[in-house]
Amino acid sequence: MTLTQEATAGRAETRARPGRRRSQRLAALAFLLPALAYIVVFFGYPLVGNLVMSTQNYTVRSFYTGQAPFVGLDNYAAVFRNPVFGTAVTNTILFTAGSIFFQFTIGLALAVFFNGRFLGSATLRSLLLLPWLLPLVVSGAVWRWMFDQDHGIINAALRALHLASGPTPWLTSTSWALPAVILTNIWIGVPFNLVILHGGLRAIPDVLYEAAELDGANAWQRFQHVTWPLLRPVTGIVLMLGLVYTIKVFDVIMVVTGGGPADATQTLTTLSYGLSFHDFAFGQGAAVGNILIVLATCFGLVYLRSARASLSEVAS
Amino acid sequence: MSTARRNRRARTTVTGIGVTAALVFAAACSPSPQAPASGGSDAAPAASITELDYYADEQGTVAWQKILDTCTQQTGVKIERQSIPTAQMLPKILQGASSKTLPQLVFTDNPTLQQIASTGALTPLSDYGISTDGYYPGIIKAGTYQDKVYGLAPGVNGLALIYNKDLLAAAGVEPPKTWDELKAAATKLSKDGKYGLSFSAIPSEEGTWQFLPFFWSNGADLSKVDSAQSVQALRYVSDLVSSGGASKSVLNWSQNDVADQFVSGNAAMMINGSWNLARLDEEKSLHYGVVPVPTPQAGGKPAVALGGEVGAIPVSGDATQKAAGKVLSCILSEPTMLDWSKAHAYIPSKVDVAAKFGQQNPEMQAFIDEVATAKSRTADLGEKYPKVSAALATAIQSAITGQKPADQALRQAQQAAGS
Amino acid sequence: MRTLRHARLRTVAGLVIVAILLFPLYWMINASLQPSGALLKPSPELFPANGTFDGYRRALSGQLGHLVTSLIVSLGTVVVSLAIAMPASYALAQLRIRGGTMFLFVTLIVQMIPGIVMANALYTVFSNLGLIDNYLGLILADSTATIPFAILLLRAFMISIPRELSEAARIDGAGYWRTFTSIIVPLSRNAMVTAGLFSFLFAWADFLFAITLTTGQSFAPVTVGIYRFLGNQSADWNGIMATATLASIPAAILLVIAQRYVVAGMTSGAVKD
Repeated sequence: MTLTQEATAGRAETRARPGRRRSQRLAALAFLLPALAYIVVFFGYPLVGNLVMSTQNYTVRSFYTGQAPFVGLDNYAAVFRNPVFGTAVTNTILFTAGSIFFQFTIGLALAVFFNGRFLGSATLRSLLLLPWLLPLVVSGAVWRWMFDQDHGIINAALRALHLASGPTPWLTSTSWALPAVILTNIWIGVPFNLVILHGGLRAIPDVLYEAAELDGANAWQRFQHVTWPLLRPVTGIVLMLGLVYTIKVFDVIMVVTGGGPADATQTLTTLSYGLSFHDFAFGQGAAVGNILIVLATCFGLVYLRSARASLSEVAS
Repeated sequence: MSTARRNRRARTTVTGIGVTAALVFAAACSPSPQAPASGGSDAAPAASITELDYYADEQGTVAWQKILDTCTQQTGVKIERQSIPTAQMLPKILQGASSKTLPQLVFTDNPTLQQIASTGALTPLSDYGISTDGYYPGIIKAGTYQDKVYGLAPGVNGLALIYNKDLLAAAGVEPPKTWDELKAAATKLSKDGKYGLSFSAIPSEEGTWQFLPFFWSNGADLSKVDSAQSVQALRYVSDLVSSGGASKSVLNWSQNDVADQFVSGNAAMMINGSWNLARLDEEKSLHYGVVPVPTPQAGGKPAVALGGEVGAIPVSGDATQKAAGKVLSCILSEPTMLDWSKAHAYIPSKVDVAAKFGQQNPEMQAFIDEVATAKSRTADLGEKYPKVSAALATAIQSAITGQKPADQALRQAQQAAGS
Repeated sequence: MRTLRHARLRTVAGLVIVAILLFPLYWMINASLQPSGALLKPSPELFPANGTFDGYRRALSGQLGHLVTSLIVSLGTVVVSLAIAMPASYALAQLRIRGGTMFLFVTLIVQMIPGIVMANALYTVFSNLGLIDNYLGLILADSTATIPFAILLLRAFMISIPRELSEAARIDGAGYWRTFTSIIVPLSRNAMVTAGLFSFLFAWADFLFAITLTTGQSFAPVTVGIYRFLGNQSADWNGIMATATLASIPAAILLVIAQRYVVAGMTSGAVKD
């Protein structure tokens, strides 16, 4: 539509009866209502409950009797004093950053590679989604075997390729355990990025690439000036959701290392679980959970600002 | 339809849905009142009860189902059974406690009984005429909270040293009886990527449970985990790893993995529980022997921790409680005890029944000897045990990884446990 | 020709990449065919020469019912999620609404609530409502993982649908609902498939709600059923791996079929150059 046509349509709308504006708002509310009701009913109770629990001295007995004395911010103080808390925060940041960075770049590289039309590209791309479909208890177990110091296939391969002289203590060393868990998580998370990014790539019209090629751009320049800018809204979603899901990761770590060795792979999520179900300090576990939500919320705000920007970008 | 009428309709619909949602929300969030107890204590026992256990795997679930079926036949009470993975037992019980929907008969790991009893959700077993006569003192202690018995186990288990007869004979090594002998044997049997000894040192109750025989045999006490005897025990265990007698991967191996290592021949000896014997018997090419866990000095008595699940009856109303009591009495009767122990490779928890069991199954004798002196983990600490156990498991990991020396690790554990 | 050789090279490179990335999967299938614990031998067999189908036999005899249950629950989750998320995304993307950004923000936040907190809360609510051991209950619970995601994804698609299309329909006299069903929904077909696909996969992989909201008396999804092979005191890795392999098959088929429709970004055909 040309600019003048757009302007006319816009003016036509504002000239409409004032009731029209209001009816649109009400209609919008009606469309939104099922989702709003669902979120309030299903998330309101747990969220509020968790907040309340973090201010109480909630023990096993509280589950049965329903009574838990109010202790204000004592649980949070106890959590900050906990010697493992600092390690957990560092590990969470490293784990999340490391996972997302590699999941995204590998996913993007694979999406670009398999976007071309060559024999088997569709089949191979579909096969790459399989890691996502396995139960985590199984993927975790397989990677545990592969990482085994003495009999694992990874050390055997490294030895065969002369990339390492001795066995790498993947899961038994406090320095290698976190990279091992990150590697496992990357493998599990690449398909998710691959699917969405590939979808974004497919939406970019071929004509743009052809035009760029005619202008003399090579593959890297085409990626830089055509692919990357047009992928930005999709990139935003993938990174944001990746952040939310990675921060919550629990099963992968528990199955592969259980949080060890010696708390080397403890993240805020595993710490929250440990406080609740090993120490029976449910209030502290809830407090860590809330700290996690606050941490992720900060990144959520960043996304929203960029989302609003992309909204105005598309509208203009 | 006019815009005004459409607006009004929209508004009414919106308000209606909102109010309904709020009502549903409010109704759902308030826990429903508990079902009133049916009449006085003269009420007849219910016709069926709900049961919860964690024998979820193939072998365990079939064996336990047989026990339950036998008792259904004998008592006439139908049993609706739920079996879940071990890690889900505690969350399930807590969810049941908070929504007042606890199962009517629950079999839980004995160290967790104190916690559950402390909530007030359980009923004393004496209410059902279940007496503790003839049971091993350890298991009675495990099920006792504030001088009342809330849980009893039909079968118990413990740890022992299981060794590969062929590998030991080939190396000319005798099954070790003392710590020195164990270390020597382990280092001698370790070569070519195989290790002499395998055990579990994972950061959970399993790791603590495996360490306790060494801890207690050396005279240490759970109320003071940084004592000299405790440091000595931890130093010994980390030495087993650092000297090459055991793989560092013990930090990552659960007891299932330890058994796998033993069966595949990667470990000549393993510290593992009696329940593995059923599987070991299936491996025809594997000739194994069982001796008690080695003690620091010759002639010492091994002090292993008591394993096994205790049956408890939560508050649920007179009729169902009575029925659960009948079922539990049946499960604790001698023939059922023997059946269960035979099927699942446990030890009967009554002294004379265990003796009879030992006669029928001589390969279990080493375990039976140990159970006589086994200690319950919650005997000294009661509800405080889980926290101490978690701190101890972390200390074990710190010491074996070399992150901290044993005394520092244990000092930190004592601080964490005490807070 | 240069392009043909290029294409062939890419196929080969593609095969190598997939082989490396899927190696753990191969290892899993290898494990499912070998006797339990065989992979622990010092030089593990890279190829299951003396394969055994015992694990598959055990898995098939016990797990088929669980697979059907998982299928019902997952498909139900797709239906519920799309039914709730589509109108909401339309409102957020196309209609002017105050507090839309706030709603989006809340949608992001609620996804960060730890799973165990959700499970505990939902158990209390559901046991009062009698929704335990209930397909609808499990579907509603699984939707907590899928609806926020679907809303975010669908909204991102719908933003790129030009407003002129709906405006044109409204000028012609169509109501909001009519515009939604006749114009927006058909145009969002690809986005709906994407959101539906993810909803299916999330529900398929769910374990926490499955174990919490069932009592084993009636039905159980395959994520719970697999624990028949994994216990406290024994682990049948053949059975586990075989079950996992079987469990991936329906999801894999769905993925291959739906791949064609997964397009993120501008809906093709709606915008004329």
